Amino acid sequence: MHSDPQPIAGIWYPEQSNRSVRASLVAKGANLAVLAEDGALLTSGFISNTIVTDRIGNVLRRLTLANGSVFETPDNDAVDALVVVAKGGRAGWIHHAERFHPRLIIFAILAILFIIGIYRFALPALVELAVAVTPPVVPELMAKGALQTLDATTFDTTTLSTDEQSKLREGFERLTARSGLEAGKFGLEFRQGGLIGPNAFALPDGTVVITDELVKFADGDTELLLGVLAHEVGHVELEHSLRQLYRSVGAAGLIMVIGGDIGSGTEDILVQGGGLLALSYSRAQETDADRHSVRLMLKAGYDPEAIGRFFTLLESKLHDDSGTSILATHPGTPERRRAVHEYAQKLQSSN
Amino acid sequence: MELGLSRFGDLKLNICFGGNMADSDQVQFGRDDRYSRHRFAFSGTAKEYFGIWIVNVLLTIITLGIYSAWAKVRRNRYLYGNTALADGRFDYHARPIQILIGQIIVIGFLILYNIILSLLPALGLILVLVFIVAFPWLIARGLRFNARVTSYRNVRFDFIGQYWGAAKAFFLGPLVAGITLGICAPIASRWMLRYTLGNLRYGGRAIKTEPTLGDLYGVWWLPALLTFGGWLLTIVIILPVLVAQITLLSESPGAVAGPLGNLTTIVLMYFLLFVVGSVVLSLYSAGVRNVGYSATTFDGRHYLLSDMPRWQFVWVVISNLIVTIATLGLMRPWATIRMARFQAAHTEMGFDGEVGEILSTIKDTGSAVGAEFMDIEGIAVAF
Repeated sequence: MHSDPQPIAGIWYPEQSNRSVRASLVAKGANLAVLAEDGALLTSGFISNTIVTDRIGNVLRRLTLANGSVFETPDNDAVDALVVVAKGGRAGWIHHAERFHPRLIIFAILAILFIIGIYRFALPALVELAVAVTPPVVPELMAKGALQTLDATTFDTTTLSTDEQSKLREGFERLTARSGLEAGKFGLEFRQGGLIGPNAFALPDGTVVITDELVKFADGDTELLLGVLAHEVGHVELEHSLRQLYRSVGAAGLIMVIGGDIGSGTEDILVQGGGLLALSYSRAQETDADRHSVRLMLKAGYDPEAIGRFFTLLESKLHDDSGTSILATHPGTPERRRAVHEYAQKLQSSN
Repeated sequence: MELGLSRFGDLKLNICFGGNMADSDQVQFGRDDRYSRHRFAFSGTAKEYFGIWIVNVLLTIITLGIYSAWAKVRRNRYLYGNTALADGRFDYHARPIQILIGQIIVIGFLILYNIILSLLPALGLILVLVFIVAFPWLIARGLRFNARVTSYRNVRFDFIGQYWGAAKAFFLGPLVAGITLGICAPIASRWMLRYTLGNLRYGGRAIKTEPTLGDLYGVWWLPALLTFGGWLLTIVIILPVLVAQITLLSESPGAVAGPLGNLTTIVLMYFLLFVVGSVVLSLYSAGVRNVGYSATTFDGRHYLLSDMPRWQFVWVVISNLIVTIATLGLMRPWATIRMARFQAAHTEMGFDGEVGEILSTIKDTGSAVGAEFMDIEGIAVAF
């Protein structure tokens, strides 16, 4: 049996009051009594309906009695003993874990390993999982919404001749027939680009949009345009837009979750760094799509380096010869041209 | 990089952190002997807090974020509970479940918003509008929540700010400051101080904040001058360097060292802007805190005072950041404790009379306590 513990010294506040009274807490079995310094009884109650705050460091413990009055004490060990006797079991395992001890070094290492592990393995795995379980209706709706918005804001109906259109459509069908997905999934749309100028992009449902400006830019080189379209087919096949979306949501969530404990300045830096990492991910996707273009063009019996001609054209016409920058969504054009050339050489020599 | 002078995140932190309960205009009341003056004192230690912090981080990761609500309560209880004024301490009473519900709502909304924005961009824009309209209300509720879960000597704070005050302080203020390129930042700061501090109540007694524009402009011109100097430096020195580098690159396409040199310049510039921006913002926010707190009275008789040396504050902010990054975040708890000590040591309350006598007449009004359970802390997560 336990002997009744010593009185615990502290301060007592009547309910909702600021008037503090020096007092001591005496526990007798399941009963609690708060006594003034002169021994007068201030209040009493039962341990069972008294709310005791968790132990955190050396912070004062607060015991709120059923009548709303509060007893406050710095004597954490005594309160722990009281809680153990009254409620059984060990008090505050979290506080125990938090105490300064060599084990904290292990915690720190674990935390760092977990964070790296989540970013390197768990996040990509979650992205794959999310992509796998996303019903096809989602990319379809995404694509529809995006195209409607672009049509309403910057696009105009195409001014290309039916001859130009059918030439590209024919080649596009030859490419999609050899893609990893069924050809019916893809569609080709012509638009006047407006603000976005010479460009081609893939929507997640398989629709590929090419602007009049890009067709004019190619100056009659249909094969070059097919190289670009094969690149866009690559984006669709590799489900890049969904991956990009899930990845950015996941990374933001990760920062948000641990954010509160790392401080606002550090959080800023992480968010900025996360943006840079997202860009590096986008550059990796572009490289993948370039390689996909080379493979697909080769399969369809076209010049596998057609997209390389597009890069040459960019360099000569637009003087786009910048190096790869960590602040860009795409790798530098000369670098892409070289990579495409090397990959095409490798593929052809291995055949 | 935002170089605007209107970032109030840090200010808000100070407010919730309990530095702000107070009283009286120091200028108006002077420092004569009838005031009993008390400095705030922070007694937490980096050694003790490190354990709390690392367990918070670890459990938050293991529980996939769910523990973060409990982590927040433990962190705040440690920080508030170690802040003392006269013979009383502060305390934080939020229950983890309230914070968890708030987090779930915010995250749910963000997910919903992202999905809708991808599927139906037009509807997504409407959702943004709804959010903008609701934002001041959410801010007011969040501030009220934070006030009501904060107590000093067993009596709760309360916050009575309303929708339009929040709209003025959090929308109009940054807008005015931004449009005028920071020239009107003190006006925005004045709105912000009057809203966030002046609407606080302690035990039903009023807290009033009336900073003068003159005082706020007094702490504005130095960071403003530095910002101006920073931009001038950027235009005169850094830009030509960058242009030279780009020209060099185009003359020798394909040079292997080229892209690397380019990249280094960009990173360096970015870093420089970040540091200059942090210095300017810290300098200004310290000045605003000094002016705002020192223009604050409690119950019309007692005064609050803040006398942080501004450059010392900048030094604490910058060195904290550098140490935190250099140690992969492991010294973050040390930085937190250092900042709390610094701020507490430079904050003072002057009571008109004997502190025990004054405080013992103050009672919780009850409204704050009862209504707290209806509240969730939504918006504070999203800040």
